Amino acid sequence: MRVLDAIIRIRDLSFTWPGSRRPCLSQLALDVNRGERLFVHGESGAGKSTLLNLIGGVMLPERGYIDVLGRPLGKLSSSNRDRFRVDHTGFIFQQFNLIPYLSVLDNVLLPCRFSTERARRTGGSASAEARRLLAALDLDPRLAHRPAASLSVGQQQRVSAARALIGRPELILADEPTSALDPRRQAVFIELLMGEVTANGGTLVFVSHDQRLAPLFDRCIELLAQ
Amino acid sequence: MKTLLPLALASAWNRRLSLALSVFSIALAVTLLIAVTRIRDAAQTSFAQAAAGVDLVVGPRGSPVQLLLHAVFHLGEATHTMRWQSYRTLAADPQVAWSIPLALGDSHRGFPVLGTTPEYFRHLRYGQQEPLGFFSGQPFSGLFEAVVGAEVADRLGYRLGDLITLRHGSAHLDELEDRHPHGAEHADKPFRITGILLPTATPVDRTIHVSLASLEAIHLNWQGGLPLPGLDIPPQLATKFDLTPKTLDAVLIGLHQRTDAFRTQRQIADFTGEPLMAILPSLAMDELWQLVGSVERSLHGLAWLIVGVGLAGMAAVILASLGERRRELAILRSVGAGPGHIVALVMLEGGTLTAVGLLTGLGLVEGAGYLFAPLVNARLGLDLSTNAFSAEELRLIAGIFATGLLTSLLPGWRASRMSLADGLVPRL
Ligand SMILES: Nc1ncnc2c1ncn2[C@@H]1O[C@H](COP(=O)(O)OP(=O)(O)O)[C@@H](O)[C@H]1O
Ligand SMILES: [Mg+2]
Repeated sequence: MRVLDAIIRIRDLSFTWPGSRRPCLSQLALDVNRGERLFVHGESGAGKSTLLNLIGGVMLPERGYIDVLGRPLGKLSSSNRDRFRVDHTGFIFQQFNLIPYLSVLDNVLLPCRFSTERARRTGGSASAEARRLLAALDLDPRLAHRPAASLSVGQQQRVSAARALIGRPELILADEPTSALDPRRQAVFIELLMGEVTANGGTLVFVSHDQRLAPLFDRCIELLAQ
Repeated sequence: MKTLLPLALASAWNRRLSLALSVFSIALAVTLLIAVTRIRDAAQTSFAQAAAGVDLVVGPRGSPVQLLLHAVFHLGEATHTMRWQSYRTLAADPQVAWSIPLALGDSHRGFPVLGTTPEYFRHLRYGQQEPLGFFSGQPFSGLFEAVVGAEVADRLGYRLGDLITLRHGSAHLDELEDRHPHGAEHADKPFRITGILLPTATPVDRTIHVSLASLEAIHLNWQGGLPLPGLDIPPQLATKFDLTPKTLDAVLIGLHQRTDAFRTQRQIADFTGEPLMAILPSLAMDELWQLVGSVERSLHGLAWLIVGVGLAGMAAVILASLGERRRELAILRSVGAGPGHIVALVMLEGGTLTAVGLLTGLGLVEGAGYLFAPLVNARLGLDLSTNAFSAEELRLIAGIFATGLLTSLLPGWRASRMSLADGLVPRL
């Protein structure tokens, strides 16, 4: 039953960057199930970030369609897509995820400022939930009020994971979040992240060029450069 | 808005150094604009009030504006004088209700000394046709008695009965005394203060009034601007001389019928005894205002231009900062900020910078006003405080703020476009 419950449905997806002759993605079909932890592997330039942008509804496909949580993204107005994105999606980037002049806590709380839905789903106290997530991701609680810029890269990535997770969005999109970490920290980070995603009942789409991470995930697909 | 303002402030604070400069330039521009506006308003009010109730100002033929400046504002030196006899003839004219002779030329610690008659206190009006009032004391009646304006008494701390000495010539700055250490002071004949006037916000406030005879008396032993060596005439002996003045600088005239002003003016222009002219203060004021007005208008235009440059500079600084804020904006987009939020964020920054610039500028104007208003009041008879925060000034402030907000619409729009084109995944 769970297997049929697709949270992302992509059919016949094509996308060409303006000014580029060759399509970046073409004829892509993909289902991601609720609760699944998917690893998308591909060389640099294969279109992984482009795919995440399309799933996040920042850009619309040239052809084909993307459903997220049963909603066809192409049919939403751009402001509804913005709303839908923040209510249901958390992002983690490769690096420089945080706003340097805000404190660690304020960075984690950002989604709750823009989405009442995310704030509501923290179960009352957003900042208590933020502290819980930071602790679960093994971050020293004393860092909560430090400016984000003063953290190490590994610490920053755990803060950005907490930010993606706060308010239990159904979908976590991670764009090479471990590329700036050394191999030992990579595994630790992914374990912590996946533990929290699972505890929240979320779905994870994790892209990386590093194939060695694949065994840590439920499923692995490869994106080939066109 | 509640979420965005702290974000906008934190972000701006993070770039405070580059932003401080644009705030500073806005502040200076605002200072200039507000100062120019206040000085203009003060000048206009002061002009309108200074010669209330005077129907004609008569003086030696020449420039009407100069006569006005001299007779009403006690500014400038008289190049010609008129004869005492001409005044007697004018005063006897049946159309003339009252006439006040004026003789200028001496000063006391930078304040002009006006020789006149006690009629002055009875007939002169200021503001809304109000008569002069005495804070204490009474008009001068005898020799070597002085009535000082409110500003003079206030600035120099004078009280009834104090003795003051007059200085020959209209030295407008106290520093001039250093250059003429001897000789120019009428030290031998001090004046006793018999009256202190209530404030009027007109040149009366900074004038020292004495009788014409007193002025004659202190110049008995003078010739060509210097005391005659070896000739001392003690005050008590002065009464032995004929103290009727020979010359005057101007005469203020009130008519029985205001409507006769033009006719009387023509008659005075045809006066046979010597070349005289009569001016209608309100018309001459207008002429003077035209003169000052064109300067004021170009200054005002220039000040607006400088405000424009300041705001454009701010927009440029914000635009330039967008490059380094690419990532910050993309992150905000990824956590749910829509293009509208981004525009609002940048406009909040622009609005805050403009507001801080405005407040700083107003602070500078107020500070400068606090420091220099007494000087401006003493030197130019302008009261800068009465027009502060007038309806027009508030409109001006609101206008600058709105312009600042509007100006930051451009970088705001750019930022929202940029963050969308960059996608959620920040790129270098
Ligand atoms: N903003 C953009 N404008 C134009 N072309 C782009 C843009 N972003 C990416 N591309 C192109 O799309 C292709 C895929 O890029 P990307 O999705 O970033 O790959 P990956 O994340 O797998 O390294 C690349 O060839 C890249 O040059
Ligand atoms: Mg990429």
